[in-house]
Amino acid sequence: MATVNEVIDTTIDDPGNRTPLVIGGHNYGSVTELVCRINESKTPIAWYIAFAVSLMTLGMFGSLIGYLVFTGVGVWGNNNPVYWGFPIVNFVFWVGIGHAGTLISAILFIFRQNWRTSINRFAEAMTIFAVACAGVFPAVHIGRVWVFYWLFPIPSLQLSMWPQFRSPLLWDVFAVSTYATVSVIFWYTGMIPDLATLRDRTKNPILRIVYSVLSLGWTGSARKWSRYEKAYTLFAALAAPLVLSVHTIVSFDFAVSQLPGWHTTIFPPYFVAGAVFSGFGMVLTLMVPARQIFGLQDVVTKRHLENVCKILLATGSMVGYAYAMEFFIAWYGGNLMEQFAFVNRAFGLTPWAYWVMVSCNVISPQLFWFKFCRTTPWVMFVVSIFVNIGMWFERFVITVTSLQRDFLPSSWGEFVPTWVDYGMLVGSFGLFFTLFLLFVRFGPIVAMAEVKSVMAHPHHDIHDIPQGDYHDDEVDH
Amino acid sequence: MAQESNNSDQKLIGLMAQFDDPDSLLVACEKVRKAGYTKTDAFTPFPLHGIDEALGIKPTILPWIVLSLGIIGGTAGLALQYYTNAFDYPFMISAKPTFSLPANIPVIFELVILHAAIAVFIGMLALNRLPTFSNPLFRVPEFARATDDKFFLTVDINDPSYKPNKTRELFDGFRGQTAVLEVYEDPSEANLPPVIKIVGLCAIVIALIPPLLLWKAYNSTSTVPRINPIRDMDVQLRADTQTTMPSDIFADGRAMRPRIPGTVSRSDSLDTEFVTGIAADSDEQNVVFLQEEDKPAEPAAEEPAEEKPAEEAAEQPMAEAPADGQAPAAAPAEENEPNWVKIAPIKVTQSTVERGQKRYNIYCSVCHGLAGDGDGLVSQRAIEREQPTWVPPTNLHTDYLLTQPDGKIFNTITHGIRKMKGYGDQIPPEDRWAIVTYIRALQKTRTGTESEIPAVELKELEIKGQ
Repeated sequence: MATVNEVIDTTIDDPGNRTPLVIGGHNYGSVTELVCRINESKTPIAWYIAFAVSLMTLGMFGSLIGYLVFTGVGVWGNNNPVYWGFPIVNFVFWVGIGHAGTLISAILFIFRQNWRTSINRFAEAMTIFAVACAGVFPAVHIGRVWVFYWLFPIPSLQLSMWPQFRSPLLWDVFAVSTYATVSVIFWYTGMIPDLATLRDRTKNPILRIVYSVLSLGWTGSARKWSRYEKAYTLFAALAAPLVLSVHTIVSFDFAVSQLPGWHTTIFPPYFVAGAVFSGFGMVLTLMVPARQIFGLQDVVTKRHLENVCKILLATGSMVGYAYAMEFFIAWYGGNLMEQFAFVNRAFGLTPWAYWVMVSCNVISPQLFWFKFCRTTPWVMFVVSIFVNIGMWFERFVITVTSLQRDFLPSSWGEFVPTWVDYGMLVGSFGLFFTLFLLFVRFGPIVAMAEVKSVMAHPHHDIHDIPQGDYHDDEVDH
Repeated sequence: MAQESNNSDQKLIGLMAQFDDPDSLLVACEKVRKAGYTKTDAFTPFPLHGIDEALGIKPTILPWIVLSLGIIGGTAGLALQYYTNAFDYPFMISAKPTFSLPANIPVIFELVILHAAIAVFIGMLALNRLPTFSNPLFRVPEFARATDDKFFLTVDINDPSYKPNKTRELFDGFRGQTAVLEVYEDPSEANLPPVIKIVGLCAIVIALIPPLLLWKAYNSTSTVPRINPIRDMDVQLRADTQTTMPSDIFADGRAMRPRIPGTVSRSDSLDTEFVTGIAADSDEQNVVFLQEEDKPAEPAAEEPAEEKPAEEAAEQPMAEAPADGQAPAAAPAEENEPNWVKIAPIKVTQSTVERGQKRYNIYCSVCHGLAGDGDGLVSQRAIEREQPTWVPPTNLHTDYLLTQPDGKIFNTITHGIRKMKGYGDQIPPEDRWAIVTYIRALQKTRTGTESEIPAVELKELEIKGQ
């Protein structure tokens, strides 16, 4: 039996022993305490400072959107021939980050990776906020935001026509809006039992009402758990292919066009790998400090982080393979335009962007071959920042270099971002962190019910109970 | 405890046992089920494996609901794409078929997932009868830990097997049980207070007003211009014809700006004769550029109409138009008649006349007719339809026109006359003069004599004539 002070190194692989997912000798009550303490303790000053900064950045984002809407898309650097500039780069960047949460919740659930329970809530919240950030960019990129509903097949007398369903851009509308909807209800469904825990603990009457309404009167009834569990499994089964479809369809936006550098069949798997890579990168960026700040080392152990690092190593290498394969196919395919497009990426107008991308995405995760790097939080944090930067540049390189240099030199041009472009990129982080800080303050950031279900039974070992008792047919009658 | 003393007059609705660990709960569940109880439930902080079997919980029908909704979603996705893109509004793009299944798969897929996921969520809540905010269990203080670290088992008092003493005995005998609690009916009003209902109803009614107004506006006609919150390009900062500018832009409210005094337009030729058709003499050479402000104090007597600004020149022929029974008192007009150029001030060649013919056929013939008889198609149709306001175009072969100086015809083309609009903006001056020469050529076809035809051509005509 583990005592509270006993330190277990969960990063040691002992085939004879299943590594505990929660260390520090916790029981059910202390897990509740550990997680709810984050919400119930006095709000730290640091939170207020961080929130104020995020809110100001969000305010800037809102003002820039207002400026954009009232002035027009000319405030961006988008112009012939680079009509897809920062807005689409930012969209793909954020929607990629938004892949980790649902992937952890759905695919790791299906593969019975129980370690996901410690980080899934956190990652799902991150997913939803990232998708929210992603959704802003195509919405404002359409120019006339007030007729955004034309994207959907809604009968409109003004337009008197329907959307074009054979366009990948419309598939994107369906994919991203479905993904956002499903992620939100999946996340919320997962939170209902934990919101009930907060409801039953809180002393604050206002929060009690809020948590009561949000937890829908959840009691933890076994009959309800039974349907809930089935629902959760169904969600996972539906969300797993959905996660893979979303970035596949995002990649179609590029791959279905005929532009050299975009028109490649490798895009769907390459984009999905990149999305998982960037999503897990962002999970690490947020999880490493959060675990430290909120004292969650017992629930989010080094083994959890190590697993995330291994996923980063795997997906980062897949992305590296895709980069290499793009070059190989450009040469092997014998298409001069394609060859030019890729040589231009690496050595053309913005070679620094390409090499930032390669070094951040392919080289930096290779550190995770070393166990020291996989188990040292500050190394992971630094690498995760590199991954975030690299993945933004990947989208920048794909989008901008191909548009700048297409088939005819007469239609070449250069992309110069404006201050509004930079402001909106920074501002989207304001939206992300504002939502995130609100969530860590008021929401259950660890899925307590799920963690408890994968914990080793603390006080009782199941073998302590006489088998006869459990299967006794003749009790008291 | 205070709680227990209050309970004495309330109706008991169930018995509840508390456990500290899940395994004791599972054992107790098994016992309760074996004892024949059916109205039972267990409460745990997390889903407990094996409890479905222990308690005898039947599998849920949720997957079937989800499957049906998924099929509906997929069918709807296919039907939507067929209806919108192949039937109601066929898009022809690069000669691709309007309906092609591969291109429709992504949207079908997404709609299957969307419908199924919403079915999971709504179905799970509906089958679980959530949300339920009122529950007598919440009145048991110990029950707050059901979402934390305690495990509970309840038996409903309405259970056929329930017998007060026997059930209590069973509960007391559970291994690992830490307390046996009684659950009493919730005496508080189960329904929402009427105030909340009324407020809610009012809120719904008020919330319905805007969509209803929108619906009404959408389906009815109105003489009031529509409200246009986002103006797009419907409203622009510009003056349309027959409108005034907002006075904060120009004090006089005029949309057409007069020229700044003393300036010359780049497009204006300095050759007055050429651009106005009025013969120049020393006093009048700047006539086109004169602005109202530049006018000499008493123009009427000494220098009659010549100095009127170009814009006003349009009115002038109208005022003196004598044709077709509309002729006003001609006497004063005759006096004000400018000194028209007699002969077109251009070099007339064969190509000039041909150019004039082309321009005439384009701009003039629709009304005046190809031969200049005033019987163009527009006119024919107007007469056929008995248009009351139609003024028939002038026959170019009348004496009135035969005797007019070239300059005056040029001026009429430039500024229009009666119903005829001015063509000065569309036809450059050299082409207007070309048209004048062509009109003269047309007139010659009726007035010309044999002696005016060159001998060679006369011969040819005679040959053709025979």
